[in-house]
Amino acid sequence: MAAPPPALTLPPSQFARLQPHAYLLAHLSPPASSNQPSIRANGRASSQFRPTSANTGSLTHTNGSAVVRVGDTTAVCGVRAELLPTSDIASWSVSRSGAANNAQQRQTSSNSNSNDEIDPEESQIQDFNLLVPNLSLSTGCAPGFVPGAPPSALAQSLSHQILALLHSTRLVRADDLRVWYQVPRLGETDTKGQGQGEGGMDVDDDTTTHGQGKREIKAFWALYIDIMIVSLAGNPFDAAWAAVLAALRDTKLPRAWWDVDNEMVVCSDAVAEARRLALRGLPVASSFCVFEADAAAGWRAVIVPDAEEEREIEESARKGMLRRWVLADPDGYEEGLSQERVCVVVDKVDGKTVIVKLEKNGGWAVDGRELKQLVEIAADRWEAVKEILEQC
Amino acid sequence: MTDRRRINGPPSGTRPVVFASSLKSASGAVAERPRRHRQPNELRKIFLKTGLIPSASGSAYLEYEPSASLAAARSSPQSLIPPSSALKLACTVHGPKPLPRSATFSPNLVLTTHVKYAPFAARQRKGHIRDASERDLGVHLETALRGVIVAERWPKSGLDITITILEAEDDRWWGDAPDSHDAPWGMMNVLAGCITAASAAIADARIDCLDLVAGGVAAIVRDEEATEEGATTPELMLDTDPAEHKSILSACVVAYMPARDEITEIWLKGDHSKAALGVEDSSLGHEALIEGAVNAARGAHTVLVEAVRESAERYAGLVTGDSGRN
Repeated sequence: MAAPPPALTLPPSQFARLQPHAYLLAHLSPPASSNQPSIRANGRASSQFRPTSANTGSLTHTNGSAVVRVGDTTAVCGVRAELLPTSDIASWSVSRSGAANNAQQRQTSSNSNSNDEIDPEESQIQDFNLLVPNLSLSTGCAPGFVPGAPPSALAQSLSHQILALLHSTRLVRADDLRVWYQVPRLGETDTKGQGQGEGGMDVDDDTTTHGQGKREIKAFWALYIDIMIVSLAGNPFDAAWAAVLAALRDTKLPRAWWDVDNEMVVCSDAVAEARRLALRGLPVASSFCVFEADAAAGWRAVIVPDAEEEREIEESARKGMLRRWVLADPDGYEEGLSQERVCVVVDKVDGKTVIVKLEKNGGWAVDGRELKQLVEIAADRWEAVKEILEQC
Repeated sequence: MTDRRRINGPPSGTRPVVFASSLKSASGAVAERPRRHRQPNELRKIFLKTGLIPSASGSAYLEYEPSASLAAARSSPQSLIPPSSALKLACTVHGPKPLPRSATFSPNLVLTTHVKYAPFAARQRKGHIRDASERDLGVHLETALRGVIVAERWPKSGLDITITILEAEDDRWWGDAPDSHDAPWGMMNVLAGCITAASAAIADARIDCLDLVAGGVAAIVRDEEATEEGATTPELMLDTDPAEHKSILSACVVAYMPARDEITEIWLKGDHSKAALGVEDSSLGHEALIEGAVNAARGAHTVLVEAVRESAERYAGLVTGDSGRN
């Protein structure tokens, strides 16, 4: 009845913990005899993203909200709008002088709402900090982050990346965030002539806004965009950005006006009067990491290969002996094994792919040719994400 | 002092939205307080699911069924002001893990609890740094759980329980002015939800417990019609949604273990001495309250058992899946 002595084998899950690099490498480069395809340890092909789902509008106390799950990474984003009266902006009366008229002119002509119109005052979003994204990782999403502690370096970096991307893509229109007030004409004629810099304005003014004074901005909407990473299993940026995008698409701002009697901005609570934000485009982020077959690659000094080495690498690649793999949408396990990261944010305008942001750091493996391929993968991802966001 | 580690908004601060309808409530249609459509002893449905956060050793997500008024407002939105809100929270358990070297020796499992509201959880925007009420909730939760966990089995170890509240309960109806009966009643519902969710997450992390502890809330309320008629007796309600009641006289939340018939945490607030609950009910106010809260906890316990069974089945599936190698 003596059982045979247990063979010294390890279950795959333990091997993955003890020898993570060898484990992933064995999956990616199976022995030629086994006839197995090269596949990642999580069962995905190297350019395959994790299944993504999105759900919007489920949080009650937000103007717009979204939950995005990318595999096991979950991001919850809530957009909360508050008002910033221009009287509270210290530099407002200084910077305003000629601006109101410019904006007014734009306002009258932009009813057609053409997409390419350039708002001369677009920088107001940045100047007055109207978009306030904050990402929180201290939700118990992963063991490394202490709850209750100040935001970790990763959380701060992600918050700033999102802010920078919001500004550089000009996703939110400054005009959506303005609360206008039409100053009634009280009989004096000199109020009109004041502050009109351009000659062409007079004609326009007399015909369209006859009997009314000039329009002025009384307040701005400030959007607090709070992202809670509820569960972290790699690639938080893609999930967080998708959640921000979905939440902003869901955001409805109430109709707001300046109430002269109360001297404050009041809003209407009617849903029918609230309007959605008109976002510019749909930038979608795709992240990649590079896994090197050489386990010590991360330790070595980075030396850019000369032409001969380059040729050798190419030669071996042609023979099917890959030394490095670019993995799309890395999970936490793969992120821990790679140094080099690439993040591509693309948008599509009239069927043409536009690169909005390209970030690459940590190594030299991804070159121009590979970047081109990555942009193509990102463009495919754009289609998939667009479909998901439009369904929710 | 600005927080340099976060992105701050406009330096002068911003003002929350003021709705015109709340300014001149005398004119036009007055918004109606949501009504309780449930029986006094009927609980809201609870959605509880474990294991949604794989990177944690145990996790649970809890959500209360939206009240009838909120569900109606969601399906056919009329007003941007939500009538009430429904609790949503996520709980993660990390550990048991070794204590840091600097920590003093402990023969028991060291429990740490963190409760944090998301900034968008409540009607007023919450700050990023934990405030006093969140710390208070954390302490209450810790006492509730400490009596349940068999702490001697993990000397020199720590257990972190983190709760993120994505949507909190209201403290009162939004149209009401703060009055004398006012207290953060919503916190009590939040605590009950935290206890139930944490219990599920601890079981999901496979940490030995005496029993599944469940949270329950009961309150003595006096409703609007009662004040008009005069001295009508206040009523005992289970699982109260503070938005649905004109005035809550007192409320109680318990953490209760049904199998041992023990209470590990009790928190009673408000004036219950004057509230005589009718002639046929001779029991004192606080006894009735605790009894009611225990009954509510029993209700939550049935949901908890289901969720934990599901977690156990998933775990069993994992183990057999792993043992397929032998």
